[in-house]
Amino acid sequence: MDSIRFNFPAPVIDESVDRLRKDVRSFLQEESRNGSFRPGTDCWCAGIDPEFSRKLGQHGWIGVTWPKQYGGRELSALHRYVITEELLVAGAPVHAHWIADRQSGPLILATGSEEMKQSILPRIAAGECFVALGLSEPESGSDLASVRTRAHRVEGGWEITGTKLWSSGAQSCQYMTVLARTGERNEKKRHEGLTQFLVPLDSPGVTVRGIRDMSGVEHFNESHFEKVFVADDAVLGAVGEGWKQITSELALERSGPERFLSTFIALEKAIQQGAASMEGHQARVIGSILARIRALRAMSLGVAALLGQGQSPDVEAALVKDLGTRLEQDIIERLREFWPIQLKQNFGDELHYLLSDSLLRQPSFTLRGGTNEVLKGIVARGLGLR
Amino acid sequence: MEQTDQLILDTARRLFSDHSGAEVVNRAEIGQPPEALCDAVMAAGLPLAWVSENAGGVGGSLALGFNLIREAASFAMPVPLVETMVANLVLAESGLEVADSWAALVFDGGQLPVVDNGTVTGVVNNAPGVVSGSLLVVPVSDRGLIRVATFAFDSLAIEECESLAGESRARVILENAVPVQLSPVVDNMTEDGLRQFCALVRASQIAGAFEKITELTVGYVKERQQFGRPLGKFQAIQHKVADIAGESALANAAVEQAIRMLSEHPEPFSGDNVAFLPVATAKVVTSEGAATVSRLAHQSHGAMGFSFEYPLQQYSRRIWSWREEYGSEFYWSERIGKSVANDICHGRAEGGQVWDIVSR
Repeated sequence: MDSIRFNFPAPVIDESVDRLRKDVRSFLQEESRNGSFRPGTDCWCAGIDPEFSRKLGQHGWIGVTWPKQYGGRELSALHRYVITEELLVAGAPVHAHWIADRQSGPLILATGSEEMKQSILPRIAAGECFVALGLSEPESGSDLASVRTRAHRVEGGWEITGTKLWSSGAQSCQYMTVLARTGERNEKKRHEGLTQFLVPLDSPGVTVRGIRDMSGVEHFNESHFEKVFVADDAVLGAVGEGWKQITSELALERSGPERFLSTFIALEKAIQQGAASMEGHQARVIGSILARIRALRAMSLGVAALLGQGQSPDVEAALVKDLGTRLEQDIIERLREFWPIQLKQNFGDELHYLLSDSLLRQPSFTLRGGTNEVLKGIVARGLGLR
Repeated sequence: MEQTDQLILDTARRLFSDHSGAEVVNRAEIGQPPEALCDAVMAAGLPLAWVSENAGGVGGSLALGFNLIREAASFAMPVPLVETMVANLVLAESGLEVADSWAALVFDGGQLPVVDNGTVTGVVNNAPGVVSGSLLVVPVSDRGLIRVATFAFDSLAIEECESLAGESRARVILENAVPVQLSPVVDNMTEDGLRQFCALVRASQIAGAFEKITELTVGYVKERQQFGRPLGKFQAIQHKVADIAGESALANAAVEQAIRMLSEHPEPFSGDNVAFLPVATAKVVTSEGAATVSRLAHQSHGAMGFSFEYPLQQYSRRIWSWREEYGSEFYWSERIGKSVANDICHGRAEGGQVWDIVSR
């Protein structure tokens, strides 16, 4: 066997990337000073603020890699990367547009009809249109190929019936990308006969119900589709090709900075608070965490560079997510030694609020977007074990 | 990497695989020196990889040397190639003649011997690669500034010892010792710069060993049948292998980033702030990962991995020894923690943000 070496090439950071980072940073500092948002942990999942997303859209910071004709700016993936990491570390409320910017927009760009691209992408880029993911179902979590939602052909389009679960932020979204079975289910070819649709959530027959999570917010949802009609052009890509589309989105989804920076805001405030007396054991704990974050960032940027070279670093991307999401949890457990986490309320103590909220949210980190067990399976397959 | 670099690296890889290997490594440890390997390594000029062509070397880039070191580690090379490369680079940087034999940098990351009136006094406890006949290259302190002294192996009091992996380590005692060569003060070389450079060498070696351990483990669990199927078909084993791969990937990312940074640095031994964070990161991540990687690899191998004959042990013992040298993960993480805290306290981070430091 050849040696198993993982290479993570350096991203090409030119002046325009640095300039963009500075712009985003100073905008966020200004907004934070103005009190336009309260920095929160896990902000890309828990912080929903459509008004804030609109501001980002006005600055041209959503959909930056897309063609100009669809509201984008034709910037590089690295430009987008820099924007996202600055938003994450500031704890900005970015969930409303996050999925559309990261996933649904690119999906529409790759598979949507021309009319769909023209009508929807510019609105997403403006921070005015949000999209939720309709993948998981009550009977179907990690085993996504087992979805039961069905789409039947009817005159002029399709009729969709089924239930989608855990769709983050769906209550503030105008659309959902729904994975549905359009062909007969064949146990031997489970990945065939699946199709993705872009469904307007104000269609007759759609009900969206918020689900309160253990941290106390209703960020995820159960969405029921009862004979919901969508026109032919709601199909994303080719009928029956849904599975391939989903798996090709994943490398990007799995290797981004949101897979290791979800709790960084708590670490940031903790170090700021402890800096003046940072010694010995505490310095070792903090230093060890920071080293791992830096290494993960190098890995994550390396995956971005590989994607930019047209490669498919699926194993590397799965590793970023597996290692990164465990680190996000580990950070909070290790900070507990110096900052015990007891109360839900914060009595004005910002750090404690961030820590307790991180702790209450952390079980989801290693679940969402594919559990770590599924990810390890992907790695094992990549190494030839499966 | 330059094209010539790639050529040298390919040559080295061929040479290692022709002349080294598990049996050669094991035999070397129990008293049968790998003479063919020694001759081939010397004849190819690999110990001079970092020395410029003007000074009689190969003229490889800094990145080439570190990649060569990773490669050598993935073969568990039983000759002091890496130590000689580093010693020769230090000689070249200080304007001294490079070695035509094996050489050893007599430096363990601790206090430097002191030079006074042309003689050197001090003790270095854990000097790597000190073998019979090698040229000893000793960085010495001249009232806080660095000079470099060389000594013949036979001229000093040396207590030879072995690392956990059977690699030579020595206690070198210098008592008013008169050097063969003594350089003037070397500009842009500091004690911490030497320590950082050597720490990155060890980090690169650990990363190289992780690759080999991943390869060995994947190979073994595919072959080994238990309960009627290959071990690798068991999910419990797959998850262990995935965790090994993760630590290996993370180590590579950290090491490659540090090598890139040092390659662009005009003064690789200066030990300044630019070099510190990437190098410290690489040593922390590799040294921390060593426990996970060795534990999971041995668990996946069962008793076979515990035997001397099977090659895994050569790598696990090496990473256990290398992780302690030139600062363990505990040493470097404490320095990172203090350095970041210090930058925050003294307004050396934009907006007072830790992130500004982390994202540099």
